[in-house]
Amino acid sequence: MAARLLVRRTWAVSVKGFRRLPAAAAAAASSSSRSSSLNTSAHTRSFLSPSRSLPLSSHRCISFNVQDHDDFTERVINSDLPVLVDFHAQWCGPCKILGPRLEKAIGKQKGRVAMAKVDIDEHTDLAIEYGVSAVPTVIAMRDGNIIDQFVGIKDEDQLDSFVNKLIGQ
Amino acid sequence: MPPVETEHGQIKARIRELVDTNRVVIFSKSYCPFCKKVKALFEELNVTCEVLELDLIENGSSYQDVLTEMTGQKTVPNVFVNKTHVGGCDKTMQAYKDGHLQQLLGAESTAYDYDLIVIGGGSGGLACSKEAAALGKRVMVLDYVVPTPLGTTWGLGGTCVNVGCIPKKLMHQTALLHTALEDARKFGWEFSEAVSHNWETMKTAVNNYIGSLNWGYRVSLRDKSVEYTNAYAEFVEPHKIKATNKRGKETFYTAAKFVLATGERPRYLGIPGDKEYCITSDDLFYLSYCPGKTLVIGASYVALECGGFLAGLGLDVTIMVRSILLRGFDQDMANRAGDHMETHGVKFLRQFVPIKVEQLEAGTPGRLKVTAKSTETDELFEGEYNTVLIAVGRDACTGSIGLDKAGVKVNSKNGKVPVNDEEQTNVPHIYAIGDILEGKWELTPVAIQAGKLLARRLFAGSSVKCDYVNVPTTVFTPLEYGSCGLSEEKAIEYHGEENLEIFHSLFWPLEFTIPGRDNNRCYAKIICNKLDSDRVIGFHYLGPNAGEVTQGFGAAMKCGVTKEQLDNTIGIHPTCAEIFTTMEVTKRSGGDIKQSGC
Ligand SMILES: Cc1cc2nc3c(=O)[nH]c(=O)nc-3n(C[C@H](O)[C@H](O)[C@H](O)COP(=O)(O)OP(=O)(O)OC[C@H]3O[C@@H](n4cnc5c(N)ncnc54)[C@H](O)[C@@H]3O)c2cc1C
Ligand SMILES: NC(=O)c1ccc[n+]([C@@H]2O[C@H](COP(=O)([O-])OP(=O)(O)OC[C@H]3O[C@@H](n4cnc5c(N)ncnc54)[C@H](OP(=O)(O)O)[C@@H]3O)[C@@H](O)[C@H]2O)c1
Repeated sequence: MAARLLVRRTWAVSVKGFRRLPAAAAAAASSSSRSSSLNTSAHTRSFLSPSRSLPLSSHRCISFNVQDHDDFTERVINSDLPVLVDFHAQWCGPCKILGPRLEKAIGKQKGRVAMAKVDIDEHTDLAIEYGVSAVPTVIAMRDGNIIDQFVGIKDEDQLDSFVNKLIGQ
Repeated sequence: MPPVETEHGQIKARIRELVDTNRVVIFSKSYCPFCKKVKALFEELNVTCEVLELDLIENGSSYQDVLTEMTGQKTVPNVFVNKTHVGGCDKTMQAYKDGHLQQLLGAESTAYDYDLIVIGGGSGGLACSKEAAALGKRVMVLDYVVPTPLGTTWGLGGTCVNVGCIPKKLMHQTALLHTALEDARKFGWEFSEAVSHNWETMKTAVNNYIGSLNWGYRVSLRDKSVEYTNAYAEFVEPHKIKATNKRGKETFYTAAKFVLATGERPRYLGIPGDKEYCITSDDLFYLSYCPGKTLVIGASYVALECGGFLAGLGLDVTIMVRSILLRGFDQDMANRAGDHMETHGVKFLRQFVPIKVEQLEAGTPGRLKVTAKSTETDELFEGEYNTVLIAVGRDACTGSIGLDKAGVKVNSKNGKVPVNDEEQTNVPHIYAIGDILEGKWELTPVAIQAGKLLARRLFAGSSVKCDYVNVPTTVFTPLEYGSCGLSEEKAIEYHGEENLEIFHSLFWPLEFTIPGRDNNRCYAKIICNKLDSDRVIGFHYLGPNAGEVTQGFGAAMKCGVTKEQLDNTIGIHPTCAEIFTTMEVTKRSGGDIKQSGC
């Protein structure tokens, strides 16, 4: 009966671990084109290689909800495809508008880019780590590096060019 | 060698040995307050010291003579740190302040994980931890919400944001809009559809706003470099806490200083059916369905505010009152606020207490049967309601945080923590702020102010204390009640009726005239001390926007405003607040206080 149950509670784990970085560093990294500070994966494969960027599996889960920290490492940091990370919240109105637009923009790329959705109340530690202050925040990642990001709403054209930039078109 | 010489030599050797083999040696006397202060300092620093109480050993005075000879200091305490003579109490305190003592002690004295651990991330705890971190300290704050018996829980920020001021005021606003809608037709607005209210829309909107606030608090802790842990904290040692997270994982942390800011939670009645079937304010704001016909138990401000806005939404509301309305507030004002509620459809069941609550039918909402008995006769009362809201006061969350392990005294009757005027408990390195304090205001801005000032005193050498006098406050009943300073009852008790002049007036807000409602229901009253230039010592306002009105007069009272200064103030016309610049009728005179025209 009671509305918000335990699941909904914000949760943070202590900020330790090998690949954590201070929020400020994440924010700083976001503006530079490529920062090695976030690069913890040993992957150096080219994301443009067609055999790698269009495997059947990535077609099926081109847009997914991040389950936990390990899942984030596996499917975002270690992803062969570039990934848009959509930090959103249930209580955030603009997120509800941006989400479907992002899905659409990703859909147009036919599997060349993936989208990871992070609910900041369920995965507060991730959002805090990546310097998220307001939602929606969208971070573009390639090979585990933050290469671009924006906060707030964008229209479809703006999203298309954001995504195109990410996949290098 | 004469025996005296031998004793002297022996004592000297013994003192040398003590000083050489111990990190800290204090020559002390057990009754000496300065010695106690020094001992407390080292305890706070978590440094073990060797203490020799000279009044308790046989040849104590000889020790004192030898010490005088060795150090040139006659008095106790006489403190040595790492073989260096530091001096007495003042010198030791000074050395602590300028950091010399810490240098002498070496690295080991900074062995705590944090400079400050704050238990409770509510209004007070967040303010205190952020301020301390801004002053360069290593700070941790722990916040953990124990779910209600019905399973409701919420995010970071404490009572005010999640289950207090914020949702309460937003739902009060919802109710005010209902009145405004009714007024609107009288002002010529035409809308044909019957007006109805959707609880879920309101609840979702309110909860979403709270969600954004929770996140904002989390971000500001990150930005201010406060370490945040979502875990339940309890003391295991005076300088050590155990933090248990949602999954039951235990972690231990130590700190030099602690601030308790655990707040309060709603009290239950201890009657059959209360925890099973009733809700409290902790559940109300997250209720997924409209509560329907509601019984509110209690006459606290929480009871009147919640009962008030539920009635304002159009629900059938009854308030069960054990004795009086708003204990502790000016009773004249409390009754006027109550009367206004009664004329707007809130039913009061007076002099009754509930004895059991039974479920007739489960549902959202279900149906409950409440049995109550009169406090004066044998009369029993039975009633059926969809929802029963218990609002009979709140209990301090101090019972299960290991205060016994830290040696902190609490008032066993109400669980409140007594502190001195610097919010310090009986244990010098443990402080307390906010709702858990004994005999202090339970208001968010008070907790914030106390927390901020405490951090500045602890870490920035400030001496400014929190002023708990003349705190302005507002009860958001349908007709709002704002006050600052003394109630009439307290003013009479402190100063004597003959030394007071009370000015009062009814008034009719211009906005109410066209709808033709609540004529001469709003009321203003000031209590002046005749022996002190007619200084205003009590301010009371019942009317719209009471919070906005009272805030400014609160500032005036902080500056010591007198009746004459109020009279010399030019009003803003047409407003409600201007009434305070033209108050002429004294209560003593029995003169007419009804208002008409400009
Ligand atoms: C219905 C309602 C309406 C109110 N309206 C107003 C108003 O309009 N204006 C106003 O000024 N005040 C209002 N108040 C009062 C105000 O909410 C409180 O005075 C204020 O929140 C007190 O702050 P605090 O820091 O003492 O405690 P809280 O804000 O209660 O915070 C304490 C926090 O500590 C957590 N905690 C407790 N124990 C532990 C532990 N062992 N470990 C970790 N965390 C712990 C709690 O879960 C909580 O989050 C209202 C209160 C209620 C109930
Ligand atoms: N402006 C302010 O915010 C303000 C002002 C004053 C006080 N306070 C403080 O706020 C705290 C919490 O306030 P509150 O309003 O929640 O609680 P409260 O002031 O303690 O009031 C409790 C209310 O519940 C009633 N009650 C208690 N036990 C009951 C029972 N078994 N059956 C029926 N009724 C019962 C009391 O009636 P009785 O009157 O018969 O006891 C009273 O009306 C208080 O401790 C108080 O110190 C705040």
